[in-house]
Amino acid sequence: MSKDQYKICESKTFESLYQKYAKDLRRFIFFKTQDLNKTEDILQDTFIKLWDNCSKVDYEKVKSYLFTVASNTFLNSVKHEKVVRKHRQGIANPKTNESPEFIMLEKEFMDKLERTINSLPEKQKEVFLLNRIEKKTYKTISEELNISVKAVEKRMHLALIVLRKDIGNI
Amino acid sequence: MKTEQSHNDKDTFLAKWLAGDLSDETLKTLVSEADFNSFLKIRKGIEAYEVLESPIEESFAKIQNHIEKKEVKVRPLHTKAWVLGIAASIVLFIGLFTIIGDDIVTVTTNFGEQKTVALLDGSEVILNSKSTITYDEKTWASKRTLFLEGEAFFKVNTGAAFTVNTANGAIEVLGTQFNVNTVSDLLEVVCFEGKVSVTTMTDTIILLPTNSVRRINGNATEQWNTEATKPTWIDGESTFKSVPLHYVIKALEAQYNITIDAKDIDATTIYTGSFTHKDLNTALKTVFKSLQIQYTEKEKGNIYLNSK
Repeated sequence: MSKDQYKICESKTFESLYQKYAKDLRRFIFFKTQDLNKTEDILQDTFIKLWDNCSKVDYEKVKSYLFTVASNTFLNSVKHEKVVRKHRQGIANPKTNESPEFIMLEKEFMDKLERTINSLPEKQKEVFLLNRIEKKTYKTISEELNISVKAVEKRMHLALIVLRKDIGNI
Repeated sequence: MKTEQSHNDKDTFLAKWLAGDLSDETLKTLVSEADFNSFLKIRKGIEAYEVLESPIEESFAKIQNHIEKKEVKVRPLHTKAWVLGIAASIVLFIGLFTIIGDDIVTVTTNFGEQKTVALLDGSEVILNSKSTITYDEKTWASKRTLFLEGEAFFKVNTGAAFTVNTANGAIEVLGTQFNVNTVSDLLEVVCFEGKVSVTTMTDTIILLPTNSVRRINGNATEQWNTEATKPTWIDGESTFKSVPLHYVIKALEAQYNITIDAKDIDATTIYTGSFTHKDLNTALKTVFKSLQIQYTEKEKGNIYLNSK
């Protein structure tokens, strides 16, 4: 066992690997599953698997190990879902990725959306992030920024129009 | 009615819709179909963006939780190490937030505890019980300065000036071994090797090996010689040479984590002698028997003194 391999089994190293790769891995899984709950599950399973195999995984290859495990876990879950669906056939018609109302979020779309959010005019961006990331209501934001609720809503409305324009027809 | 409402909200309706105050159906009547589909996708994209941008720490806590549970079942012996790991990372996190930015290092000993600290230049500090040193890691290479409260023995590697600041004066050396004791208003420095310069509020004294100096509460500085090569407390004994008894009582309290009630005795009595760090009873006996003082343990860790 080399020194590096040993280190993955140390909770400190394990945590730093998590800090390094979790966000990228989460995006990667999301574009496959298109489902935030499943993404969270697979993300957790992947890191638990890394911990279980910490002495067997080469430190240099952790990144490809994580992405491979995540990908396989996703494929297995798809297989499992197919079986479940087969058994349920005729009983229920669950909303799946194939149903017409399903909206696919492609990586290109998400990249563009994020770029547009980041390039929103400062006032719109401020309101947008306070509302969407910090989960503050328009009323709270209006009190914090000392403007009317109507003004907050106007900025948000404009932000959505900018997003719509920049992203174009999809 | 509907048109009136949409007229009023014409520059805010998208905000209301995103907050859930306006239904999809209503939105459909306000914008073109292409816009409507686009907004639906943007809303979903924003929801995904929120989650994908959210901190990852929460998931990590769940992973740790899961691993911890599993460890208990499979490898109970390792649980402790893992819990310690989590505790350590939490401490590390808190530590990072409090320490980050100023690089100030603080080492503290508790009651009855001794710690050896290796400094960045290889110098060594042995801290006696209930003592603290503080220094700046960043400027250490250019300025070897630290602050001491309590008692410590220093083995300084040769190099630039090494300064020990205390509330009662500063000690400056080049490379040497010396002991500093600074409890409340007492400052006592013993030089064991090399040359030590002690600067108090009123004067500066150069100490040579086996020289000692003491200054109590701004009184005249006393000097005497010692034959020891290192302070006795390192070997588990505190030694005093003609010091007022209340400093001895303070040292006992720091060593054994007790409180001593001395209001009924004369604490300014001069004491010469030593006490052991190994056994409280022996220590109390050696100090107070010789001074004809009676000690009674009223409750655990609380000792009352009175004259015979």
